[in-house]
Amino acid sequence: MKQLSHLFRTGFAISLLIITAACTGAGDLPNDEDTIVIDMIVKMNRGDYWSTIQMGAEVAAKEYNVSLNVLAPENENDIQGQIQLMEDSIARRPDAIILAASDYEALGQVTDRTSYYDIPVISMDSEVASTKVKTYVGTNNYEAGQKAAERLMELTGGQGDIGIVNFVQGARNADQREEGFMDYAARFPGIRIVDVLYCGSDEELAYRLTREMIRQHPGLTGLVSLSAESSIGAGRAVEEAGLGPRFKMIAFDNPPEMLELLQEETVQAMVVQNPFNNGYMAVAAAVKAARGERLDDKIPTDTKLIDLDNMLWPEHQKLLFPFVK
Amino acid sequence: MSWLRYIGKAIRNFHFRKIQVLISMSSVTVTIVAVVLVSVLLVERSARTAEENAYMNLGQIIEQVNANLELYVGGMQDVFTVAEKRIQQSPNLHGDVRLGDQMETILSTREDLVTMALFTQEGELVRNLPTNGMRKNTKLTEQNWFESALQYPNSLQFSPPHIQNLFKSDYRWVVSMSKLVQYNDGAQEKQGVLVMDFNFRTIDELSQRVSLGKKGYVYIIDNVGNIVYHPQQQLIYAGLKYENLEPVLNYSYGSYMDNLDGEKRLITIQTVRPAGWKIVGVAYADEFLTTRQELSQFLYGFLLVAIVIIMAVNIYVSAKISQPIQRLERSVQMVERGDFGTNVYVSGAYEVEQLSKRFNLMLRRIRELMDQIINEQEAKRKSELDVLQSQINPHFLYNTLNSVTRMAELGRNEEVVTTITSLSRFFRISLSKGDHIIPLRDELEHVRHYLIIQNIRFKNKFRYEIEAEEDILDALTLKLILQPIVENAIQHGIEPSPEPGLIRIRTLREGDLLNIVISDNGVGMDKERLAGLKAGKLRSESGSGVGVNNVQERIGLYYGKPYGLHYESEPEEGTTVTITLPLTVQDSNSREGGM
Repeated sequence: MKQLSHLFRTGFAISLLIITAACTGAGDLPNDEDTIVIDMIVKMNRGDYWSTIQMGAEVAAKEYNVSLNVLAPENENDIQGQIQLMEDSIARRPDAIILAASDYEALGQVTDRTSYYDIPVISMDSEVASTKVKTYVGTNNYEAGQKAAERLMELTGGQGDIGIVNFVQGARNADQREEGFMDYAARFPGIRIVDVLYCGSDEELAYRLTREMIRQHPGLTGLVSLSAESSIGAGRAVEEAGLGPRFKMIAFDNPPEMLELLQEETVQAMVVQNPFNNGYMAVAAAVKAARGERLDDKIPTDTKLIDLDNMLWPEHQKLLFPFVK
Repeated sequence: MSWLRYIGKAIRNFHFRKIQVLISMSSVTVTIVAVVLVSVLLVERSARTAEENAYMNLGQIIEQVNANLELYVGGMQDVFTVAEKRIQQSPNLHGDVRLGDQMETILSTREDLVTMALFTQEGELVRNLPTNGMRKNTKLTEQNWFESALQYPNSLQFSPPHIQNLFKSDYRWVVSMSKLVQYNDGAQEKQGVLVMDFNFRTIDELSQRVSLGKKGYVYIIDNVGNIVYHPQQQLIYAGLKYENLEPVLNYSYGSYMDNLDGEKRLITIQTVRPAGWKIVGVAYADEFLTTRQELSQFLYGFLLVAIVIIMAVNIYVSAKISQPIQRLERSVQMVERGDFGTNVYVSGAYEVEQLSKRFNLMLRRIRELMDQIINEQEAKRKSELDVLQSQINPHFLYNTLNSVTRMAELGRNEEVVTTITSLSRFFRISLSKGDHIIPLRDELEHVRHYLIIQNIRFKNKFRYEIEAEEDILDALTLKLILQPIVENAIQHGIEPSPEPGLIRIRTLREGDLLNIVISDNGVGMDKERLAGLKAGKLRSESGSGVGVNNVQERIGLYYGKPYGLHYESEPEEGTTVTITLPLTVQDSNSREGGM
């Protein structure tokens, strides 16, 4: 009888072992499909541009089963705040971080730190000075600058004085757009860049600086503004000045005010980025990075040159007005 | 650790033909087959039901969306019809103040009605509401709603959602309804394009809210394939996403399986009748078919648990059956090695218990038989010793020689010769080369010589007769069984009797039995004495050595219990002793050799 009970106990022990193994085995399966946690740190928590990025990111998040946290400092100039957000995010150990760096250099160090904890970082919209970044998703800003220059040269016939209203000096995308524009404009000896203004993403400042520039350079025949905010401010100043059909302006991004000016022919064309696609592709890339897949160094998204002729194309309408209000 | 050791032992002791293994294996196999079969059938069946349910649910959701949209679009249509009628009735569109008020009322009741406007066929504004100024560069004649109103003059046209860029106000996403209508411009009857812009938000929100699993979504296209609503519209425009519209445009309702980039998707289509739009539900197969995976996962778990439990029960049950048998086997092994003292008692299944009981009984019987054999062997040895003694029989020899001496002194030479001859014959047969079994002929000869000697000794105090059928003289018998009985008859029957005695010896064949009957007419015995004799308590001390009991014992030992001596006696009448033996005849060869 002793032997029998022993046998029974052994059988029981084995069954328990198998059941536990089966349970853990079954429990392992859903883990593979578990949600990926991604922190997305952008430059600002307002504005259509960033909202559209978020919309695109959320579409991707739904598609890839991602738990997405979108974080941003109050202000685009709040570099310290963005560094702090990065620190907090690293402490939470997400599966991946998407960063739109407010400052190319300043965010580099904290980005390097992510590699200690094996958190892949995707750079979006604006690059950051770190070799730890897996890829850059966003506008090819140099090319966007060239696009703006190309159209402005066409419009002005490659002659005249041109002003530039940029946003933040030191921000990688601002510098690259300016560089692209300058490099293209340099091919035209008749073109003179009279001034480059930095408005710090402040519409009001852009307005005042542009007004001042127009006043100082009465012969100005062209203007390019390299961000949404600078476009709004500069556009207002140009409209007020009533410079007539000889004056050509190329704006950047798609604030509704610009559309109005486009229809009024105050602005001749706009270089429009695709923030929705930026957000979407950044999350898609972050998912791949979190899974350890290899990524291309750069994942460029298209920019479109919108003018009066093509602004009503269905695909451009959705690009210009991402939100149904 | 002990169970590890146990497993090691179990593996070493593993035999395929063990009962335990046979039972476990067969029942586990049967159970696994049964459970797998049931599981597969169940999974198939419930997965199919789940799939059908998923199809149905999907269809119902899309139908619901369709119903809502139709209701909404129908409402818009109604508003348009009312406005159209009112405009047609108005005698002078420009001066009609009441018309303006009525239109204002319509505009204010429908919150999502953004603008209404009438244009000439050339695209000149006739009248609009709210009365905002027009923007420049509207390109309205190139816009979808204007073109299609002219193209299909008698039907209400729905445009895909677009940005309303006509009037100085916010840019809004609108759906434009347009139709070529009649209106009166003072005296003249004219035709113009009436357009009403509805805010697209309601439709957008309605479509956005539809959830078809985690990844599934709904999109709407118009009848030529323009996107009305798509959650990933921008990705499609950018070429990052692709929606296979060809089959969608061919269906007006129904559902089918679509394979896009290796992902199976269930497409469900419904048509919003007033606008001719198609609502397309996209559900990912891997999502709503997870039920199948989950089910099979659950069932695999169930299968595993079932097998484990069945194994455990099997091990237990088969152990319960086979263990007692194994113990029985060990017991038998011990018996085989000669340990008959082992007593087996095995509890367990009824059959095994019975087997062990029977085995125990058998064991006891063997023990008894062995004891018996030992006793019998001992007795045999003893009686053989007795026989050996009786072969020499010194007392009888002494007595006989005494009487020979006396006869010689008296000069009775003839009697001396007879006595000595008989004595010689007597001893010759007594010894008979050490054989225990001799022919009846010799045994009778032996007792005859004894009777001759005794008759001489007792001076013819008795007569004797020996009768035997010729054909049974060759029958075999145990040696020295008649002499002790005859000795008894003389000593206790004839000698005390005053009358002349008679001793008769007859042999009778009775079937396969040989009866030798020795009767005398001596004093006989009373009942107690007879009983004592039968019980073997009487033993003559003065006899020639081999007692009657010895005869009885020897017959019993050699031939078995049913054979032996039978006494009949009456006081003053005499005693009859019947010796019953099996009738065995020696074959002639060995007889010749034996004699």
